Amino acid sequence: MSRALLRSVLELRAAPSPRLPLPTILRTLTTSTTTSHAAQPSEPRLFNQTTPNIDPPPPSETTTTTTSDSAPPPFNYRGVVPPRLHPSRYQPRHQPHNPPPELLPKSPPPPPPTTSTPSLDPSVATLLPLLAAQPAHYVTVHIHGRPYLVTAGDTVKLPFRMPGVSPGDVLRLNRASVLGSRDYTLKGAPWVDERLFAVRAVVTGTETEPPRLLIKKRRRCRRKRRVVSQHWYTTLTISEVKVCRDADAGLEPVEEGLVEETS
Amino acid sequence: MSYFRITLHRSAIGLPARTNGALASLGLRRRSQVVFHPVSAQIAGMILKVKELVLVEEVERPLSKGEVKAERTPEKGFWVERRA
Repeated sequence: MSRALLRSVLELRAAPSPRLPLPTILRTLTTSTTTSHAAQPSEPRLFNQTTPNIDPPPPSETTTTTTSDSAPPPFNYRGVVPPRLHPSRYQPRHQPHNPPPELLPKSPPPPPPTTSTPSLDPSVATLLPLLAAQPAHYVTVHIHGRPYLVTAGDTVKLPFRMPGVSPGDVLRLNRASVLGSRDYTLKGAPWVDERLFAVRAVVTGTETEPPRLLIKKRRRCRRKRRVVSQHWYTTLTISEVKVCRDADAGLEPVEEGLVEETS
Repeated sequence: MSYFRITLHRSAIGLPARTNGALASLGLRRRSQVVFHPVSAQIAGMILKVKELVLVEEVERPLSKGEVKAERTPEKGFWVERRA
C-alpha cells in the first residue's frame, strides 16, 4: 500500500503522538520540570510488546514536581472511534494473536528511570576530548541485545523485520558497549553513558532472502511435506556517530532529535 | 511473607520417576524455568528432594510469568526519533 496509507495505519495503532517522542533518558536529564499533563510515551505501545499495555489512572489536577516519567496518556484513536467488541472477540488486525488485556499477567508497570546520573571514570574527563577530536569513530551498538560494530555510513541488515517502522524513519541507538577511535577506546560498564554519544540510523527498507525449500520425509514412509521459508530483514544505514567533547556538558538533547555538540 | 524463587538448572531427563514427581509437584517442566512458592516445610522438603538440580533464592515478592520473561528480555537499544 502507499506510504501515506501505511503511515496512517501505523499511527492509528501506535501511541497518541508518535511524531514527538521524547526518550526516557531526556526526561531524566531535564530535572525539576513540573508538568501537569502526562508526558509523551517514548515509543509506540504496540500489541506485541513484552510488558502489557496497562492504562494508568488519570493524571491528578495538582501540579507535582517529578523528575521521572509521568504516566502515559490513555490510548487515543485520534477521533476515530473503533467498534466496541467483546474482549473475547478482540483480535487485532495483522498482529499476532494476543490475549485480551484482562488475561495478561498482572505485572506492575516498569519502574520509572532512575534520575541519578551514573558516575563516570576520572579518565573519561581527561581522555574523552582526545577521543572526540579524532576524525573517525566506531561504536558497538546493541539492538535487542545483539552487538553491531558500526561507523557512519555503514549498512546494517538486521536478522529480523522491525515492526512499527517504515523507510525513512530515523532511529536513535542508545545502547553501546564500546565507543572508540583509532587511538582511544571508551568501554562501557556494561554500557557507555548515553549522554556521551549519539548514533542515528535511517531505516532504508526491508529485504527478503531467497525462498528456502525444506522437504520433510520420514524413512519407510512415502509422504513428503514441503515447507517454504522466506524471511524478511530490515536494513538500516548508520547516518552519524557523534561523540561529545565535554563529559560534563554532554551532547545537548533537543526536541525532535536535533542534537548540538558542545564546543 | 517470603517466597522461594526456584529455578530448574539441570535437566531431569533420565532421572528416576520420584525425582520427576518432585519437580512436577513444584511445577517445574523445563530447564531454566522459574517458579515461586511460599516458604513452608512442605516446599522445603520438595526442594531437598531435587536440591542437586535447582537453584533456590528467598525473595519477598513473587514475580508473575510476564515479569520473569521481562527480566531476561534484553533492552531494545533504540527508539524512533523521527518518522518519515
